Amino acid sequence: MSALSPTEALMPEISAPIVLALPKGRILDAVAPILRAAGIVPAPDCLDGDSRRLRFPTDDPGLDVIRVRPFDVATFVAFGAAQIGICGADVLMEFDYPEIYAPLDLRVGGCRVSVAEPADLPPTDPACWSQVRVATKYPNVARRHFAAKGIHADIVHLNGAMELAPNLGLSRLIVDLVQTGGTLRANGLHETEVIAEISSRLIVNRTALKTRPEAIASLIDRFRAALAEGAGS
Amino acid sequence: MTDHPPPSPALLPAGMRDLLPPDAETEAMALAALMEVFASHGYGRVRPPLLEFEDSLLAGNNAALAEQTFRLMDPGTHRMMAVRPDMTPQVARIAASRLGGAPRPLRLSYAGTCVQVSGGVLETDREVSQAGIELVGADSAEADAEVIAVGSEALAVLGLRRISFDLTVPPLASTLITEFGLPEPDRAPLLRALDRKDGAAVQRHGGALAPVLNALLLAAGPAARALEVLRAQPLTPGARALADRLAAVVAAVERRAPGLRPTVDPIEFRGWRYHTGVCVTVFAAARHEELGRGGRYVGPGGEPACGLTLRPELLLRAAPARPTRSRLFLPFGTAAATAQAMRAQGFGTVAALDLAEDDLAEARRLGCTHVMRNGRAEAL
Repeated sequence: MSALSPTEALMPEISAPIVLALPKGRILDAVAPILRAAGIVPAPDCLDGDSRRLRFPTDDPGLDVIRVRPFDVATFVAFGAAQIGICGADVLMEFDYPEIYAPLDLRVGGCRVSVAEPADLPPTDPACWSQVRVATKYPNVARRHFAAKGIHADIVHLNGAMELAPNLGLSRLIVDLVQTGGTLRANGLHETEVIAEISSRLIVNRTALKTRPEAIASLIDRFRAALAEGAGS
Repeated sequence: MTDHPPPSPALLPAGMRDLLPPDAETEAMALAALMEVFASHGYGRVRPPLLEFEDSLLAGNNAALAEQTFRLMDPGTHRMMAVRPDMTPQVARIAASRLGGAPRPLRLSYAGTCVQVSGGVLETDREVSQAGIELVGADSAEADAEVIAVGSEALAVLGLRRISFDLTVPPLASTLITEFGLPEPDRAPLLRALDRKDGAAVQRHGGALAPVLNALLLAAGPAARALEVLRAQPLTPGARALADRLAAVVAAVERRAPGLRPTVDPIEFRGWRYHTGVCVTVFAAARHEELGRGGRYVGPGGEPACGLTLRPELLLRAAPARPTRSRLFLPFGTAAATAQAMRAQGFGTVAALDLAEDDLAEARRLGCTHVMRNGRAEAL
């Protein structure tokens, strides 16, 4: 359709509920106490991993919750499909959407983005490298990290099981999320460098903050108050 | 080895689009309505060229435009030419050169197409239309407010009423950081953290300034509350002067356009980076994009100026649908004088080029809303 057709005109958002995007999986469990302390009560099946629903009402008719993959939380919020969300700083580093504000560190979901390589690899000096092949689900983070050292990173983009890549000859090293290091050790890898320490962030769509400042600010305040009470830590 | 099938001839480069009927006409009419508002406030229209020499377009504060600029070589002079990604620097150049002798304050308006190397994340157009005003040679809160008030009137003409004007002071954060004497290595990461309103990173890089900056970050919102936070925070002298100017602009805007209710974000500094004072970003409540942006800058030769640039195609997407012209089918042989009279009434006439079997069916087939029967225009 054409640029000006009414079908493309978006629904007015003023009356529509605010949408909070939550990440499925690990972080969701860690975030549950903070949601509770912030007085956000989603439908009971929202925090239950088995539910097939994706969108849930809360006890507040002005607030709905959606549950999506962690990487998609950032995309939903960046494009304004959700006005507010919770996701790991690793996702923000990877996508680097200018439309996302990250006003609050929720101090849960702690882990790190690290470089790892086979433990039995003979040591070499990375300063001599011109390029290196890296398997990762964070291509932008990895490229930036190595570019800053003057190394071109050839990226092998994988969505999981990164730990297999070096020992099967797919890459020399990997860049991945590390929580305890147990998976690395079990696959004969060791961590050589920490790129960034990661925790979960409350994120906000820029335009939503500008056009619905009262509603968004009051939600941020509720999360802040919940953190001050010590929820989550 | 098999080749891919040849690309469809209808495929356009990313970010380019054809506007079809009736949208192209709607756009032209809306643009005319915008320009009429600007003209009615005494803004004289200029029309800079699509291309100019790169070194003049990107001179001085406009260097930030470079990464969005397409360039080509002028075979005559062997100098690089740039396709404008933004018109404000062109208007500023005209004001400083060809209209350098014109009385100040000088009010100029403009409309035209710009081309940018890459579209945004949300709005991927690379050919962007702009319509705007520049008020050159005045450095006062009243001048800043006039540009905003005229812009708001132009938006109202398009039926856009739920508009949010977000006032910012791009130099405030960097002035505060420089005057405070924050260590050099922390400045760039801190500015980036501020741009993303990343509270944790501001805490990490902000040193003793972090509490002030975080308070300002969270002050974004309705003007009264944000200005109160700005007043309460300890600012350095230069930053305080900028904050006072912001307060004066808010007061002047509220005086001129009481219904406007601007929001304020003290720490935002997005944009083309040539701005030196109070700026404004226009949002529509129902849309995710910015509809326009403007603010105070220093023109070539050091002359103070401010302006506002709107994005007509985005305005139209956000505005209520405009009534399109009624199309009247004229059966073969309709008298020229009759046709003329119907056009005078506002119809777009669609004249049959030969005798149709069924005028009604033919009128419907051609997308007409009316058909000429028995000397009258009958609605279909």
